[in-house]
Amino acid sequence: MQTEIIQQLTQIAGSASSVVCDETELLVYECDALTLFRNKPDVVVFAANTRQVAEIVKLANTHRIPYVPRGSGTGLSGGAMAIQGGIVIELQRMNRILSVDVENRIAVVQPGVVNLHISQAVAPYGLYYAPDPSSQSACSIGGNVAENAGGPHCLKYGMTANHILAVEAVLPSGEIVRLGNPAGETIGMDLLGSIVGSEGTFAIVTEITIRLLPRPQAVKTLIAAFHSVDDCSQTVSDVIAAGIVPAALEFVDDKTIRAVEASVYRAGYPLGAVAVALIEVDGFREGLEETADQIVEICRRNNAYEVRVAKDDDERAKLWMGRKGAFGAMGRISPDMLVMDAVIPRTKLPQVLAQIDRISQRYGLPVANVFHAGDGNLHPLILFDSRRADQVDRIFEMGEEILKVCVGVGGSLSGEHGIGCEKKEYMGMVFSDADMETMLRVRAVFNPGGLLNPDKIFPSRRSCTEIGKQTTTSTEEIGKRVDAVLRGAH
Amino acid sequence: MTIDGLNASRVLQPASVEELAQLLKEEKGSVSPVGAQTQLHFGNPLRSLDCAIDVTRLNRITEYVPGDLTIHAQAGVTLGELERALEANNQFLPLDPWNGPGATIGGIAATNAQGSLRPTGTIRDWIIGMHVVEVNGNASKTGGRVVKNVTGYDLAKLYTGSIGTLAIITEISLKVRSGYGRTATAVTRLPDFASAANLVSLIRTGPLQPVSCEWIGPENEVWLRFGEHPRAVDWQLKNLPGADWKILEGTEEAEGWASVRSGYQKLGPIVVKVIGLPATIADIVAESRSRAWIAHVMNGIVLSGVSSIEDVRRLRRTHRVIIERASLEDRRQVSTFGLEPAEHELMLRMKRTFDPEGRLNPGRHVDGE
Repeated sequence: MQTEIIQQLTQIAGSASSVVCDETELLVYECDALTLFRNKPDVVVFAANTRQVAEIVKLANTHRIPYVPRGSGTGLSGGAMAIQGGIVIELQRMNRILSVDVENRIAVVQPGVVNLHISQAVAPYGLYYAPDPSSQSACSIGGNVAENAGGPHCLKYGMTANHILAVEAVLPSGEIVRLGNPAGETIGMDLLGSIVGSEGTFAIVTEITIRLLPRPQAVKTLIAAFHSVDDCSQTVSDVIAAGIVPAALEFVDDKTIRAVEASVYRAGYPLGAVAVALIEVDGFREGLEETADQIVEICRRNNAYEVRVAKDDDERAKLWMGRKGAFGAMGRISPDMLVMDAVIPRTKLPQVLAQIDRISQRYGLPVANVFHAGDGNLHPLILFDSRRADQVDRIFEMGEEILKVCVGVGGSLSGEHGIGCEKKEYMGMVFSDADMETMLRVRAVFNPGGLLNPDKIFPSRRSCTEIGKQTTTSTEEIGKRVDAVLRGAH
Repeated sequence: MTIDGLNASRVLQPASVEELAQLLKEEKGSVSPVGAQTQLHFGNPLRSLDCAIDVTRLNRITEYVPGDLTIHAQAGVTLGELERALEANNQFLPLDPWNGPGATIGGIAATNAQGSLRPTGTIRDWIIGMHVVEVNGNASKTGGRVVKNVTGYDLAKLYTGSIGTLAIITEISLKVRSGYGRTATAVTRLPDFASAANLVSLIRTGPLQPVSCEWIGPENEVWLRFGEHPRAVDWQLKNLPGADWKILEGTEEAEGWASVRSGYQKLGPIVVKVIGLPATIADIVAESRSRAWIAHVMNGIVLSGVSSIEDVRRLRRTHRVIIERASLEDRRQVSTFGLEPAEHELMLRMKRTFDPEGRLNPGRHVDGE
């Protein structure tokens, strides 16, 4: 990158310490949590405020340099990866909670604020921020907005999009705009709603007004162990059919149980189980006990051989620790893994899990399943060894086959991780050229020059997966990240 | 068919999406999509009308899978028809727009029509996918058929509330929810404005979680609807703040809310939606010099019947205000959305990218602001 541009960036950011251009230091920014896909930016600049972001964007426009916003770098689809190099605008230092309005149950935060820190800050008022991606003790709210992040509790409480009331954003023109209002009421066509989940390709969000919810009076968490996947899947269906709206309904399979129980995230999941359902209900204290009893009854009717209701908050936290640490624990059973994210109609669970199992056997690579069963959001983890070139060659092909199965039953490519770089070549599985052409025209309304986060979401000639094949991630690396995340939680 | 005083020279009723696409490919004049025609008064005045496209023959529920909590319906299906289909499995859509069960789902989405029932947002929060046909006849889709999905841009957000000015909605996928274990409604009438303001403030900041919470004036009635596990409903009814509450259930409850809906229809002569914050509702009502109002207490929104466009202009100095209903004459003088310059610019660019010749519902939305 030209010295002149580095100098101008330094001037905008106010100090040399806010600009990273050393080749070694840049390695940190060559990927997000999808470490399979890497490309180094030319420079990283830490913005301190909205004005700086706008000036950096204008500078990038003047010199026709691509730029990518980045928060904590915990994304799993390569959304924060600088695929064409250029400038990474790092927003981590914009990490202040600007205001909390307890009476109106809203907060105004900067994009670099860590998701969990919001709930911690408002806990004294009996409030919390509902969307809880598994990386919530590390991921930033700005990234959550970009990806429309989910989490186990979005089954009952909805995704990020349902909790964002207003934003201040820098458009690719460098203009600063405010969209939405603290009541969250849409005025005409919903521009704000279209920005949430646009994977950082429409605008850079620099201030966010979020909805806070009152903490539920009571929570009940239980696990049920099954000897068969079908029984566990049927339990999921029966809970929903009974009209219960669980706060979370998670599925953990035998491989995951072995990994978790051999790791520091040991949650006491029954080791002999083929599948475990982790179910949580919350709300008013009155009636909750009955709902939990009803769920226990449904589990037993579906041949659960062990059902355990958490007795207190500690036990509850432990059950969740196993679930949230599951990705990190995989190092116990496999040197590497590919984290997948797909959605299927929940009634197709048994059929799709059986098909994934057959694909796994055919490729000779094990798949662990740990996922949000209540909304059909699968996370098949393909386990492999990156030292074996034959395995590396097969994982993408195998992943594609799994995605085809999911799409084939009416599902979709991603429930919460986004398309980013990872799945853009698969978009044609669900969208026609006409669908994508419409989406690209809408992108051009916001981002006409295409310099903001280029080459994401939509298929390109130079395939992302080719980049991906050059390097793979180790489960040890993912484990370290998860360790850091979970340590941050305590 | 007459909309805003303009007579359509042609009214077409396509029987399929393919037919709709084909006739749009051939049409060169201005086009207005209509459904059950319950919201034709909403939006900025229509500028021209060559061809009205009535989508009510696109009236099939294309798929309903109770176990997936999803339903997929063509734009001309009415809310009432959806409700009847869902009822068979004790499921429902938590929407009760003022224009009633006769409104089409396409029309409800296009106008972002709302009502009292808002436990989890508005229709935007229940739409998971959409099919549309653009004015040039090109068909496209956004979203999908599953309850959780971040694949591609969520253009349904843009189509919702755009009053059919970007594209014509042909099919909508919705997530639905299981029926409440029990519902009950508590109603009380307060002697004056101040005591009603005080009561709604207590409710808002207390432990109750009503799925509807309306302060209706000038009668100063407070209507609370609860939907939960039966015991949680009981608990909430027992913990109502001190007032003389009447409890409505079953048919009586349904009739009660139908009367609230007809109360909305009587608001006027100009009905505005004033957007504030829960804590500022009483101030908004006072400022708006309402003749009559319905305030969504938990949301900070007041639907207010005001006397003149001067009231609208005055309110817009301090609040975002949408005109819900007004005479053509009044709508000619004051814009429906009162957009800020930055929004206006972006929306105008959006309109032009979908409809460069301005033929689709011309003047209705941003191009009439």
